[in-house]
Amino acid sequence: MEVPTTEHLTGPTPAMPQQKRTRVKRSSSSWWYHTANWLGLLPFLLFCLIFEILPALMLLQGSFNDNQGAFTFGNYQHMFAQSGTIHAFETSIELSLVSAVISTILGFFAAYGVYRLHSNWLRNLITGFSSLTANFAGVPLAFAFISTLGVTGFVTVLLRNVLHIDLYNLGFSLYNFWGLVLTYVYFELPLMVLITLPSLSALRPEWSEAATNLGASNLTYWRKVALPVLMPSLVAALMLLFANAFGAYATAYALAQGGINLVTILISFAVAGNVSIDVGLGNALAMGMVIVLCLAVSLYTYMLRRASLWQGR
Amino acid sequence: MSTQATQINSARPRQRGLHNLNVGKILLFLVMLYLLVPLAATLVISFTGSPFSVKAYSDLFTDSNLWTTLLLSLGLGIGSTILTVVLITPTAYWVQLRIPRARPLIDLLTLLPFAVPPIVLSLGYLEVYGDSHTWISILSLGLVPLLSNDPFNIVNTPQLLICAYVIIALPFAYRPIDNSLRALNTRVLAEAASSLGCGWWRTFLTIIIPNILPGIISAALLTFTTAMGEFTLASLSGIYTFSVYLDETGQNDPYKAAALTIVSFIITLLCVLALIFLARQRGASKKKTGNIEIAAAR
Repeated sequence: MEVPTTEHLTGPTPAMPQQKRTRVKRSSSSWWYHTANWLGLLPFLLFCLIFEILPALMLLQGSFNDNQGAFTFGNYQHMFAQSGTIHAFETSIELSLVSAVISTILGFFAAYGVYRLHSNWLRNLITGFSSLTANFAGVPLAFAFISTLGVTGFVTVLLRNVLHIDLYNLGFSLYNFWGLVLTYVYFELPLMVLITLPSLSALRPEWSEAATNLGASNLTYWRKVALPVLMPSLVAALMLLFANAFGAYATAYALAQGGINLVTILISFAVAGNVSIDVGLGNALAMGMVIVLCLAVSLYTYMLRRASLWQGR
Repeated sequence: MSTQATQINSARPRQRGLHNLNVGKILLFLVMLYLLVPLAATLVISFTGSPFSVKAYSDLFTDSNLWTTLLLSLGLGIGSTILTVVLITPTAYWVQLRIPRARPLIDLLTLLPFAVPPIVLSLGYLEVYGDSHTWISILSLGLVPLLSNDPFNIVNTPQLLICAYVIIALPFAYRPIDNSLRALNTRVLAEAASSLGCGWWRTFLTIIIPNILPGIISAALLTFTTAMGEFTLASLSGIYTFSVYLDETGQNDPYKAAALTIVSFIITLLCVLALIFLARQRGASKKKTGNIEIAAAR
């Protein structure tokens, strides 16, 4: 059991005073039981408080403070007035959404391909490889793409020498929007494959059998049965990928070196003490990010709950 | 049983036409190609020289910075892994057994890091541990002032990074442990142990832990990979970890960058292999339930 301590979290239980009136002895032990219950969570709650909750609260407070610590809406006005910061939000959202949509669609079909594979070892190999590449992100990933599609990258040079196609003359660049999309898709695609596989396995064979018995074609089965059942999981996956891309900093930083205007890059200027962004504005930008991400994560949890309705998980 | 299985298997290709089957497989092939090409290209570039050279690697391995940063990152990885397991496992068990009412709160706390990415977290730490605020001191029960002054000063130290990594890895670490706890009949086990005179800690250490080991292992390895590869917080708090070294060295020399990418790929590969191997070994008796969990790396 827990070691008795004097400090405890706020509010044991509302039921406590009522019980006290009826039976004194039992109520004191039940009061102790409830307090002990919460006390067991104390280390974890305290850890989350000082390393997770308080930083977030401080950002909220700081976003309403000016340099002298007085209350102001100035940071937000600043944020909405500058075309640069608005543009950064647009670019970040666009980049995350485009890469998430591409990964969701391609990843879904690829996952279907894995699901239809008959050989077990091949399926395991692909799943393992997917979890490997899904974890391969950040600086190394950026370097891998520079080695592949950078100006002197292997594929760029190969195309130029063998097929006489010069990607960079055709307007392609790894260091702008589409280059980043290509790089983000690299770790989002395998992630999508991994999170879609369980949902696909949850499709019951009976459903397709029943549909076929009732004369449904393959296409009708997918349109009327499988896709509606899978839709919540797909939207949840899309939101997860979006949130993942929206918060990403290392990949964009290592690839474009501040050459692309993203919210995460602007916030890093504020952290590093760069003069172009003061800390108040940085706080406001961070709050903006948190709000967008909260929307995505709420939709994600809501859709997961919807998905569990059909998939019994 | 077996006839049923064969029936389903033989029925499958007929029901869903050839058309669908091909689209999935062709796309799967293309996706795999897309995932393989950058790795292959990087491998080729890392050996580029006249005509084949290991110079990039020999230069790297003689650089003492590689080994010191690798050692530091390894320490950070191990530190945050231990802290994660020690913090999360008893908490998840406690919630399951004693206070299921707290589950929504815990779920919220473990989901929140998705909404507070490392870059935001680093700015938040700068604010919390930067100057002293009275209400922060009170709200944190005096812990923040304690941690931002000597002798326990953790501002911009590897210790703060370890704590931050525990938070970042929370969504990936909590779920596998919680899932394996839910699959277990915790209450019955705890009551049986208790009626046989087994104390709380002994029940936890000798009965619960061995049963949820697959979940703990995958949580541990996911935390470890996250901590090993994390760049944002380390670079912004000025701590010279492996990924910061990688960035710094690679920006000036494309061959070294390629070689370093291969080195870090091999580290990730080892982690994932360990994950698959351990999950398979432990989950062998339970069929395929020990599916590999994944981290969304940044």
